[in-house]
Amino acid sequence: MRRAALVALIVLAVAWPRLASSYLVFLASLVLVNAIVAIGLNLLSGYTHQLSFGHAGFLAIGAYTTALLGLPCLRLEGLYLTMATLAFGFVVTEAILNLDALTHGADGLRVPAARLGPWALTTDAARYYLVVAVAALLVVAALNLARMRVGRALLAIRESEIAAQASGVPVATWKTLAFALSAFYTGVAGGLFAWLIGTLSPDAFDVFLSVDFVVMIIVGGLGSVPGSIVGAAVVTLLNDVLAGFQNYRPLIFGSVLIGCMLFMPGGIASVWRRQTAP
Amino acid sequence: MTTAALIHVIVSGLATGSIYALMALALVIVYNATRTLNFAQGEMLMVSAFLAWTAQRTLGVPLWGSVVVAVAGAALLGFVVERAIIRRSPGATHWDVLIITLGLSLVLRALAGLIWSHDEFPFPSFFSNRPITLGPARLAPVSLGILGASLSLMLALYFLFTRTRLGRAMRAVAQNPQAARLMGVSVERMSSAAWVLAAVVGALAGVLVAPVVFLSTKMGLIVISGFTAAVLGGFGSMPGAVAGGMLLGVLENLAPLYLPSGIRYAVPFLLLIAILTVRPAGLLGRVIARKV
Repeated sequence: MRRAALVALIVLAVAWPRLASSYLVFLASLVLVNAIVAIGLNLLSGYTHQLSFGHAGFLAIGAYTTALLGLPCLRLEGLYLTMATLAFGFVVTEAILNLDALTHGADGLRVPAARLGPWALTTDAARYYLVVAVAALLVVAALNLARMRVGRALLAIRESEIAAQASGVPVATWKTLAFALSAFYTGVAGGLFAWLIGTLSPDAFDVFLSVDFVVMIIVGGLGSVPGSIVGAAVVTLLNDVLAGFQNYRPLIFGSVLIGCMLFMPGGIASVWRRQTAP
Repeated sequence: MTTAALIHVIVSGLATGSIYALMALALVIVYNATRTLNFAQGEMLMVSAFLAWTAQRTLGVPLWGSVVVAVAGAALLGFVVERAIIRRSPGATHWDVLIITLGLSLVLRALAGLIWSHDEFPFPSFFSNRPITLGPARLAPVSLGILGASLSLMLALYFLFTRTRLGRAMRAVAQNPQAARLMGVSVERMSSAAWVLAAVVGALAGVLVAPVVFLSTKMGLIVISGFTAAVLGGFGSMPGAVAGGMLLGVLENLAPLYLPSGIRYAVPFLLLIAILTVRPAGLLGRVIARKV
């Protein structure tokens, strides 16, 4: 049953560009890119219960910021990390606006078409397949992580940092690693996003984008990889539907966050688990 | 740079800093009573300032009266949010409340935008803008007024927390909720009181800062500076929150004089990283070992 569903999903993913219009193919690519960020954020939040508002920042400048932010994060816990990364998000946007020579400031950058050896990926379908391949790789990696030593260590940290430390888990090291991994996922997604959109400008990466990612993992379910993908799909499609109602978007997303925490903690993933449990 | 100009920059930095300090105090009051962070504190400030503005504009209430409206509105908002949302959260851990108040901040901001629009509005001030000469320096009465009003409010809070039954009960809960409960203090009622008190402090800060930065839905972002101030001073310490706010305000004003002007926006972030690397407990905070 499970295997059949998985095969159906793979067939659907491969055949999608032949079935759907080119806009829907683009939308599917966007869902997957967002899913990669959501999985990345979930590696941090879901496994260690820490919240980052800096993920739009990482999406903007890629994973090399790890060196800049990852090391001080050894010291940051809980609320501190949240607020530091929130401030970081602002700094990145400011930096992009001010580093004219590199980023052309508010005018934005044109992104050259992606190339794989001799092939230039110029069609929506080609870009979609690239995104699917990368996303599949990262999903499998994230699923396996939870079963590895690292994943178990991170879960131990989430349940009780002190107990984990007492059992010999080097808490600071693993937390930094979680942050680095999380930023790496987001950096990869940032690269894919650039190719997908074709032009970059700083206002595409404001703090509210980071909030979108938080909504994705809360709706989908903390610490759940399939939940991250479902959450990314829900938020991306909602964004598309609400494109004409920009003023109501934060109202709806905010209400969804509050509603999820009060009535559905654990998100869609936990509801699914309860439904399918014998 | 002349001494007079330097004094001017530092005094206006202290004025900004005293607003940050009030914001930090609001965050710390809630944190001490409930061990959670109210991410929507800035948006509650913004809504209170808009309430005062509406009272002035549509009802013709004088400036003094509108401050009363802002305080009353904020108190009601704080009470309702704590009772209707925060207390209903199943876990009520700092993580749950952080996400809930994040959602709340989005909702409040969007609602304010729908009601009052996302434009900027001028807000009348108690203090004139014309500089006065004091010894060698020319100072803006606005800065002195904000500073004076904030310091009086801090003094009032000091008396509340040291001399009154309510203040002492709140401090007892901050130190040890279980022991406070055994002594007959209602932890739930203190949580309610903390939310109301923090909202009131925020409302007063909002009315003070609105004439300077203009009234807009973006005002809520001041919560970041407030948090930075609280961390600088040592999160949970009220004198620390005041000291941290003042320090942040002055550094923010001084940094652009010596470094590229864009640095202003990075100051809170850089300070936060610096203090957490060098002295994680903050300037006035004590290192407390947590027990399992």
